[in-house]
Order: sequence, then structure tokens, then C-alpha cells
Amino acid sequence: MDKRVKHIAMQRIQILFTLARETYKEDPHLAQRYVDIARRIAMALRIRLPVEYRRQLCRHCKSFILPGVSCRVRIKQRREPHVVVTCMKCGGHMRIPLRKKEVKQA
Amino acid sequence: MKVTPDIIRCEFIGSELKVVKSTSSCVVGIKGKVIDETRNTFTILQDSKRKRIVKDISTFHFKFPDGTVMEVDGKLIVGRPEDRLKKCIRRLW
Repeated sequence: MDKRVKHIAMQRIQILFTLARETYKEDPHLAQRYVDIARRIAMALRIRLPVEYRRQLCRHCKSFILPGVSCRVRIKQRREPHVVVTCMKCGGHMRIPLRKKEVKQA
Repeated sequence: MKVTPDIIRCEFIGSELKVVKSTSSCVVGIKGKVIDETRNTFTILQDSKRKRIVKDISTFHFKFPDGTVMEVDGKLIVGRPEDRLKKCIRRLW
């Protein structure tokens, strides 16, 4: 029962994110509304949003961001190599490390 | 798409909707794409005009992207989109 409901929830999140991507050009507010619903569905059923969807949200203001439209993506080599995504709405940064985690050898 | 009691939990935003029955006669026959959903209403895009329809008093025909058409009583789908997932109903039809 619980597994089935979570599966439906995952499908709904998928639908909402694709719709948000399609409608962002015409109506950014509607796209934001879709993303908010998807996030609330995930929170209600205690599902973690998959990585590809988490990258489409600002970590700080939770707004929907599209590379080149509402966020800036830069690669930095200093210290650890990483990607910096700057949200154009709130100005916050998200950093994504580029080095993969080392696999523990048993 | 399989027709199961799970239809009250699926996503209606993005599907085509037609109002077939309602206690308010002026909304019967409205059809279009669902663009928003609240606890008590659907917002529909009909000929680039937005129309808001109350769920509780109407019966809908939903057409999903894969072509299946379903008739759903509006009373069953009252609830916020994220709360409908947890809803359980004993008697559906």
C-alpha cells in the first residue's frame, strides 16, 4: 500500500517538473506553483527529491531555476574543483563538488 | 493507464478536463487543459481564458496524455493536491 502510493507520488513529481519546465517561458509564476506542489508532495510522503530535480531548485529560496535564464553556472578550479550555481532571484550560491566520492573497499 | 481506485491520487494538472454534470448549469460543457488545482477548485484554460470550477458540485471527464478517459465524481477529489495522496475512500462506486 505504502509503496504503491510512493510510486504514484514519484510519477506526479515527474509530471509536475516537466510541466514547470515547459511553462516557465510563458508563465514563471505558474511554473513556480507546480514546483511548490511537487515539493509539498515529496514532503508529505517523506520522499527525497531525486538529484536531477534538486538541481532545478534554488537551495536557499526554493525557486525554480533554469541555467542561462534564472541562474548562472560556473566551473571553479580553485581548492576542490566544483560547480557554482548562482540563483538570479535571491543571489545565493549552490556548490556542487566535481570529485566523486571514493568507493570504500571492503 | 489502468483504471483503479488510485485515480483519486493521480495528477490532474496537465490533463484535459470536461465538465459533464454540475448543479450549476453555466459550467456544464466547459472543457480545456487543467493548469492549476486548489483544495476546492480546478483552474482550466479554455480558449486562452482561465476558468475556475468548483470540484464539489460537478462530475468530470478526464482525458490523460495516453488517451484514457475517466469519469470522476468531484466529491471524491476534494482536497489539496498533496493531501489527496493520503486520502482513502472505502466505497468508490
